[in-house]
Amino acid sequence: MRVLLIGGGHSAYFAANSIKEIDPDGKLIIIEFTSEKVEVLSKTFPFAEVVQQEIDGVESYIRSNASILDAVIAATESDSLNLRYCKAARENAIPLIIAILNNPMNKEIFLKEGVRYIINPYGIIPVELSEILGSATNIIYKIPSGSVMMASLKVENEDELRKLRRKLRGSDDVSALLVSTSGEIKSSIEEADMRGRLYLMGSEEKLKKILDSFRRRKK
Amino acid sequence: MKVSVIFPTKNREHHVKRAVRTAFKAKGVEEVIVVDGGSRDRTLEIAEREGARVIVQSDLVYPGKGVAMRDGAYLAEGDVLVYLDIDIRNMTPEFVEKLAEPIIRGEADFVKGCFERAAGRVTELVAKPLLRMFYPELARFKQPLSGEIAGLRKLFYMVEFERGWGVDVGLLIDLHKLGARIVERDIGYKDHDMKPLHALTDMAYEVAGAILRRAIRDRKTDPEWAERYLRGVRAIDLGLESGRGYA
Repeated sequence: MRVLLIGGGHSAYFAANSIKEIDPDGKLIIIEFTSEKVEVLSKTFPFAEVVQQEIDGVESYIRSNASILDAVIAATESDSLNLRYCKAARENAIPLIIAILNNPMNKEIFLKEGVRYIINPYGIIPVELSEILGSATNIIYKIPSGSVMMASLKVENEDELRKLRRKLRGSDDVSALLVSTSGEIKSSIEEADMRGRLYLMGSEEKLKKILDSFRRRKK
Repeated sequence: MKVSVIFPTKNREHHVKRAVRTAFKAKGVEEVIVVDGGSRDRTLEIAEREGARVIVQSDLVYPGKGVAMRDGAYLAEGDVLVYLDIDIRNMTPEFVEKLAEPIIRGEADFVKGCFERAAGRVTELVAKPLLRMFYPELARFKQPLSGEIAGLRKLFYMVEFERGWGVDVGLLIDLHKLGARIVERDIGYKDHDMKPLHALTDMAYEVAGAILRRAIRDRKTDPEWAERYLRGVRAIDLGLESGRGYA
């Protein structure tokens, strides 16, 4: 796989290391803007080809290399540049276009520009806080391509558990796992008792309905 | 030459419609960009509806004016970038045109706007003395901290943006050092919201920091002296108790 990673900052550091692990034999090209950073990056990532480009030169680099690139990852420290480069990648029909956001508030703007794969490094903060602080419902993960997600529910009384059992019984597209307050794991909702946390994975559509009805009951 | 107008902003839903419409009416303006600092009101929604390109600044630091200005420059496609405060109540297309014209005519690379009012306290007590000391050639500017500026887009890509209030004076020094042709243009009377008084002390500190970091970089002073000076700036009495403040 040939991946073009744009940016040499914090996000790009982690992206470069992940790409190396995912595809050790692949070709990674990193674009940076300053000669000092290019030198440092070449030493940090000896497995990658590090290229210096001017800010305005990246779009033409993408254009010139479009036929050999499998993926473009925009991971600069500016979401404006990330948006620009994702747009250039889209215009040049790069198969995989990934944006690593600096500010999650830009997600909608990227989606409107047709960027499908958006990584929000801050997405973990509300998820973990919800788990630690014991939020009643928590969407833990959504698969980037959509349709599947994982969520958790805090079960506090027998009535809630009974209703959930009814909803999940006979449901093929949602799997459930209950972790009790003592940390015991029960793989069947039928064995579940109160005051645990129920983890559900499956169809996004179905899970959202379950979460909605659970939230309504909580009110 | 295509002109891009950039408004760094936050929670300015009452100003954004008028500002964007006015900017679009100016000669040569092909795009208006609103860079938002994390508004909790309808600023972004209104900006988009009025045809502006929008982005939320990459880092929600406060003060983050420099981050917003940098993001605006990076998103822009025009040859000339014009930066304006979004809350100028008497804004007309001429504000944009006066700033962009010297560049379009090929007489300047960077234009610093000035307006009809006495320079503010941070300007007189902090910026000007430091500029006279380290960059005397820039002391001629009436309002070196003015945020109403215009410049060739490619120039903004050659300098580092300070993140906060030091951005305007930082750009002035760095573009001067790059050899850019810089002129000052009077844009007339500017009716806008004053900065809250408490912001002035922080602003003074950041402005001093921006100038001193450059003075150290350019070997015009030693870091120890600069540090002592900055401690002194923290203690400056800007007359915050006595009335309305402005920079």
